[in-house]
Amino acid sequence: MIVEISHFFSILSAGLFFLAFIFSTRTYQGNHNLELLVNRIFSYGFYFIFISFLLYVWLAIQSDFSIRYIAEHSNKDLPTFYKISSIWSAHEGSMFLWILFLAGWSQLFNYLLSKNDLLKAPAIGVLAFIIFGFLIFLLFTSNPFETILPIAPINGADINPVLQDPALVIHPPFLYLGYVGFVIAFAYNTAFLIKGDMQINWEDVIRPWSLAAWILLTIGISLGSWWAYYELGWGGYWFWDPVENVALMPWLAGTALIHSLYVSSKSKVLRGWTILLSISVFSLSLFGAFIVRSGIIDSVHAFANDPQRGLYLLAFSAVLITTSLIFYVYRLPQLISKNLVVAKSKESFLSINNILFAAAIFAVMLGVMYPLIFDYLYDKRISVGPPYYNTIFAPLTFLAAIFLVFSVGSLWQRTSKLLNFKSFLSMSILFAAAASICISYIYQDFQWWFVGALFSGLLILIRYFLLIVDSMIKKSYFNKPSAIAHIGFGVLILATALNASLSYEKIINIKPGEIYKDSDYEFYLIDFDLINEPNYDSVRAKFSVKNIYTPNKTFFMFPEKRKYFIRGQITSESAIKITPYKDIYMTLGDQLDNGYWVVNIQYNYLIRWIWIAAAIMGIGGFAALMERLKRK
Amino acid sequence: MNTLLRFSILIIPIVGILFFYNLLTEDKFYPGANFKNFNVPNFKLQSLDSASSFKKEDLQNELLLNVWASWCITCRIEHDFLMKLNSEGVRVTGLNYKDESIDAINWLNSYGNPYNFNLHDLKGSLALDMGVTGAPETFLIKDGVVLVHYSGEVNQAIWDSVFIPIIQENKMFK
Repeated sequence: MIVEISHFFSILSAGLFFLAFIFSTRTYQGNHNLELLVNRIFSYGFYFIFISFLLYVWLAIQSDFSIRYIAEHSNKDLPTFYKISSIWSAHEGSMFLWILFLAGWSQLFNYLLSKNDLLKAPAIGVLAFIIFGFLIFLLFTSNPFETILPIAPINGADINPVLQDPALVIHPPFLYLGYVGFVIAFAYNTAFLIKGDMQINWEDVIRPWSLAAWILLTIGISLGSWWAYYELGWGGYWFWDPVENVALMPWLAGTALIHSLYVSSKSKVLRGWTILLSISVFSLSLFGAFIVRSGIIDSVHAFANDPQRGLYLLAFSAVLITTSLIFYVYRLPQLISKNLVVAKSKESFLSINNILFAAAIFAVMLGVMYPLIFDYLYDKRISVGPPYYNTIFAPLTFLAAIFLVFSVGSLWQRTSKLLNFKSFLSMSILFAAAASICISYIYQDFQWWFVGALFSGLLILIRYFLLIVDSMIKKSYFNKPSAIAHIGFGVLILATALNASLSYEKIINIKPGEIYKDSDYEFYLIDFDLINEPNYDSVRAKFSVKNIYTPNKTFFMFPEKRKYFIRGQITSESAIKITPYKDIYMTLGDQLDNGYWVVNIQYNYLIRWIWIAAAIMGIGGFAALMERLKRK
Repeated sequence: MNTLLRFSILIIPIVGILFFYNLLTEDKFYPGANFKNFNVPNFKLQSLDSASSFKKEDLQNELLLNVWASWCITCRIEHDFLMKLNSEGVRVTGLNYKDESIDAINWLNSYGNPYNFNLHDLKGSLALDMGVTGAPETFLIKDGVVLVHYSGEVNQAIWDSVFIPIIQENKMFK
């Protein structure tokens, strides 16, 4: 019964959003009452989808296995926590969550935006159309409300065990919040392009929204990377998997957007480019949804599915993207500023970085598309792997870092004198160069990417250090959020490079009672435990590990292999010893015939700092958002 | 700026959309379907009731081999369609996968049995040799050669679009 109510509310909500869209197209005369009606209907649309989702959560908690989706992805023995998260563990439910967030962001926007805003009604209309389109997709091709009648199964099929993890409970929600958050920029700018009133300051309206979406996307991607590191047992943090790539593209475009918005609102140049970016970010989110949900790509993340879904998503995205682009192209001559970007001004450096970001997005897109095109044309499967991405990304990142540093002390709309000998910039370059040569020498690693990363990462850190010290002495203003976020970026470059250069792994064969000695550590395999849990059996190795230099401090590590009953899946639970400088990462492999076990030991240097860096970037974004909200 | 040049930016999404449209509507684009032919590997398995044992040679010339288990919810949903196929004269053999025989027999008793007989693959060894990754999966087999390997639920739509063309091509189940 409850499932029917939930289903009905979703349908009702789709109807209301459709009405809001239709009415919004009639508001061009400035009919105030009609505008109010649109806002009201839109709000009700949101309330109904929200209640519908809450009811669905309730059903999941109650383990109502008459609902096919819940029966296929949940299980009555699961803790409540995972019963709820099982909703977004597969296609239908995660689409439901996606739409809820889409409607949620839009409703917040509807609620917060002044009703005197000239673009409110058309922007709400665009949002209503998008939500309506996705609700139709949900109800007709991916219905989570479908029931199994007359006999419901006694128990459900269980959630995929690798997804039974706290990070995975929150990773998709953050990611989706980030993805769909950019819809506000898309809708508002599309409304702006349709109206064509060039006096409207759309930059100021969409900046906080884009910033908020960017922060959430940053968190979402880092959580995914962190989860992959400790759960999948490969010991890496980024795999250039197609689905990671389709999350990275909106992030790159979003990063370019928040910077470009800054330029447009300061000096009214790059407006055309900024609008194009705002269209691209959401288009890339749509592209991501399409790739993941159409079954075109095989990946850990891809949902199994049928071609109908892909076709619908393709058609709907095509409508959204081409419509907004047609308006864009049509309005472009009015958007182009009469003022040119002054050479060596702040906006010139930001423009260069915009181009670098566009190049990076293009490179990722090519990497994602190339196997598809190749398969299509030559019927052969190839995969584009990390070497391609690393080769392309490293130089782009270094260049972006260098131009970022150039922009730090530069001025808006004026040529800045940058390279005189006593400037902070020259000092930073000298220090960074000297330090990176020293460090390369210490680690005896002179590969171009290592030296390049050291130089560019240190350059950022030193430049900001000088800036902060200088401002403290002179008690002058500096942009703190920007400093925080960019320091995070500098740390990220350094941590990534040092991790890549220093980390190594050993694969050993060992049996209980034996000791394996490594250069710094001694691993003593004490024995194995067999553990019976309600939903899995496991073999757990017990290692006592000590550092050769501090032999008194021993610690234990328990790498483990689990076999889950219901799906028969075998997972490897790595044991991780965390230190500030490195992780010892141990995974249990197979048992050999002679009683030996294969154990993989990895030393992952500075890997924590990669996520810390991402967190710092997020904090910087958050500080910027707070500053903007306070100023209002 | 030249109007034509401006509008040329639209080429990018349009080419992309046409490409994906082509990819999705390609005849053989069904996620889950694999049309690569291979020989059924040799095996020796007990039947579900342990009354007899079967080898590769005991399989009929034309059959549908369906991998299922009592713990598999999707199999429960697919079950109705298999009953329908069985009533239409399509020979369906079951490969009971990583399942306790008592659970499986109870399952068949309560929901109905669409299979002419069932192989009991408790360890999943035959399934492994045939590239099974889960349940349900379905193989269309003629004269010991797998023509279609489908992962996921077979329903009317999948049957019509994935299996029927191959069945007609090979003049099976006449």
